[in-house]
Amino acid sequence: MSFFNYAWDWVTQSANWHGAGSIPQQVLAQLGYAGAALLIAALIAIPAGVAIGHTGRGAVVVINIGNAMRAIPTLALLILLALYITFSFLTWLVPLVVLAIPPILVNTYEGVAGVDPGVRDAAKGTGMTAWQQVTRVEVPIALPLILVGLRTGAIFVVATATLVAYLGLGGVGRFIFDGLDSYNYSPVAGGALVLMVLAVLVLVFFAVLARLVVPAGLRKQRRSE
Amino acid sequence: MITFERVTKRYQDGTVAVDALDLEIPAGKTVVLVGPSGCGKTTSLRMINRLVEPTEGRILLDGQDVRAEDPARLRRGIGYVIQQTGLFPHRTVQDNIATVPLLNGWRRPKARARARELLELVGLDKALARRYPYQLSGGQQQRVGVARALAADPPVLLMDEPFSAVDPLVRASLQDQLITLQTQLHKTVVLVTHDIEEAIKVGDLIALYRPQGRLAQFGTPERLLGAPADDYVAGFVGFDRGIRRLTFFPAAGLELSAGPVLGADATVAKAQATGEPWILIVDDGQPRGWVPQARLASLSGDTPLDQLLADGIGHTFPVRGGSLRAALDAAVISPAGQAIGVDEDGRVVGVATFDQLRAAIQAADRAADQADEAAAAADLATHRSADEPGARR
Amino acid sequence: MNWSWIPAHGSEIWAYAKDSALLGITPALLGLVISLPLGIVAARWRWFNAPVLGVVSVLYAIPSIALFFALIPALGLTDTNVIVALTLFSLCVIFPNVVAGLHAVPDSVRQSATAMGYGALRRLAMVELPLAVPVIIGGLRVAVVSSISLTSVSQLIGVYSLSYYLIDGYQRQFPTEIYVALVLIIVLAVACDLVLVGVRRVLTPWMARS
Repeated sequence: MSFFNYAWDWVTQSANWHGAGSIPQQVLAQLGYAGAALLIAALIAIPAGVAIGHTGRGAVVVINIGNAMRAIPTLALLILLALYITFSFLTWLVPLVVLAIPPILVNTYEGVAGVDPGVRDAAKGTGMTAWQQVTRVEVPIALPLILVGLRTGAIFVVATATLVAYLGLGGVGRFIFDGLDSYNYSPVAGGALVLMVLAVLVLVFFAVLARLVVPAGLRKQRRSE
Repeated sequence: MITFERVTKRYQDGTVAVDALDLEIPAGKTVVLVGPSGCGKTTSLRMINRLVEPTEGRILLDGQDVRAEDPARLRRGIGYVIQQTGLFPHRTVQDNIATVPLLNGWRRPKARARARELLELVGLDKALARRYPYQLSGGQQQRVGVARALAADPPVLLMDEPFSAVDPLVRASLQDQLITLQTQLHKTVVLVTHDIEEAIKVGDLIALYRPQGRLAQFGTPERLLGAPADDYVAGFVGFDRGIRRLTFFPAAGLELSAGPVLGADATVAKAQATGEPWILIVDDGQPRGWVPQARLASLSGDTPLDQLLADGIGHTFPVRGGSLRAALDAAVISPAGQAIGVDEDGRVVGVATFDQLRAAIQAADRAADQADEAAAAADLATHRSADEPGARR
Repeated sequence: MNWSWIPAHGSEIWAYAKDSALLGITPALLGLVISLPLGIVAARWRWFNAPVLGVVSVLYAIPSIALFFALIPALGLTDTNVIVALTLFSLCVIFPNVVAGLHAVPDSVRQSATAMGYGALRRLAMVELPLAVPVIIGGLRVAVVSSISLTSVSQLIGVYSLSYYLIDGYQRQFPTEIYVALVLIIVLAVACDLVLVGVRRVLTPWMARS
């Protein structure tokens, strides 16, 4: 039997869609963990990226922090926090936020710093205050890259939120780890499939969001991350 | 009026971009800052709207130190045009133009209406209002940049190499547009360029910089061409300045003679009787061609002139509104060595020989020198002279 | 924190560290080996680029973690499983960078090279690829660091590496193991990152030090 057979078997069992611990419930839990972490990471990383991109100071720090944070294994953080703090939301929130910050920070910084220097000069010379330059010119122009950063961060946290189930919490990982424990591969496959679908849905969501939010005059920038 | 008082800009590594600059820019005039790369002209310009802060000295705008006001508020009262246009790519053309009015709190419909007015003012089709900058050509983008600078009707307009990035045809058109706008709007325009021809064409006054931030000469274009302060200025201005300065001398003072001018129905005999070395054949006022006396010799006296083979006239010069330079060029290119002066309808008024041109040029020179001496005396009186006593020619 | 545990298990720690290194570096290198020819072709022929980029974007979205589990029927609970999953991930990161790096070579440079008599292959090898090195290595760095970091999950499918200490430490409530694994994984990732920065410097002596 291939992966898809196992997964299909499991996904098509209607029992899995109802009651406690059902697919919808765990999906919502997963999105809840991911969403909260993404939100907090965005609240930290976007202002930081904008400020550093606008002033140009601390750019080296941003790049290096971005790289360094990618090295941190999220599972290790999760487990460590679980050992020290029993059952607080911080246990799962902090590691996921740490995971989401680098792509958002680096992309926001590059988006803002990459605004054409002539445009920045014109914004300043026209008589905009620093706040107006940032909110009316730099951020709108940097928006495509900011969205790329958010999308990358979202994919990372949606995927990695699976691990919080290892600590006994909810989410799609529940199917996977319970399946592994009971040597039953179907839920493992099913969970993995649900994860993949979720990830693609995140992609679609951000593609639609970009289409809605980015002004027509901006040409799309490609970012390779 | 903009005044620089001993303004210096020194950077941390010791480079001096502007060195103790004293300059007075009169209101309502176009003043061009021109010089080689790195001479401090752009830095000087950017100190007016405080994008750069002076290390020493101060800049007064209508008598008030520019530092007295909040920089953002100051800049909203000063139009700013740069070489790369700096148009906001995420906004439509009309929203770009409406930037300062919107910042000043205007309602959006009113600001957009004003933007569309300005589109017309700078010579663009109103249909471009809803387009985005990337859809416009370079020349169109520059015009939008100028419209944006003018939107809030600021008394001062700063332009930093605004036309350098477009091709020569578009550049000439933009320069003409600026000159026309100035006749309507009378703004105080400070324009930076590295192109001396542009400076001479659009400037009422020219401030020519030396390298490292000092002024070499400040005066009218005629003065820089006619009386450069030293070899550096003479070299920068160019070696055909003797002829180029004639652009500023009107042709109205040129004495014209009608001697060689004859109608097409006149006869060969009459032509020979004038004693002129060349005859200009005119038909219903329009010049037809030059005929040398030698060609008349073999013909019978009663042949009408319009049957003769005539040499081309080259071009003519307008008597009203033309310059001595146009007249000189007409004379040079004419086979007869005489310039043909015409009125607004193209009808011949008279012709001028090289001798007559020379006399007119010398008269204009004398008049210019007297005017300069009077101006220099007035400068001395107000102790604001930025012009150094010039060597003659 | 039980410091004496560390020297007591020195050789075991070293073995697991080597496993993590292998599990993290191999996929990155494999990703590079696959991305280079694919990227070169895609940079040259636009019609090839669009579909490949589309596939890559979707693959990139598929979480490696999900892949680990999805590959179990096909590859079992083995090293190969981890390496395949991480190679796919690395591919998604490096391929766009190969294309972007080659595209970033200015047209004027490419044309001068052709005008001077470089054939297409030599031009690629001697001019375009060297100039694309910084961007490609940028992608390689992300791939290596992320892959090493992801090996921390390998024990969940029974593949031994430093990940073992994370799981064991959690089950035995023994933080020392976890700290050791955490620190070593980070050190390993950062070390590889620095090596790649050094490689880039060596390969691009014409560039200013960043």
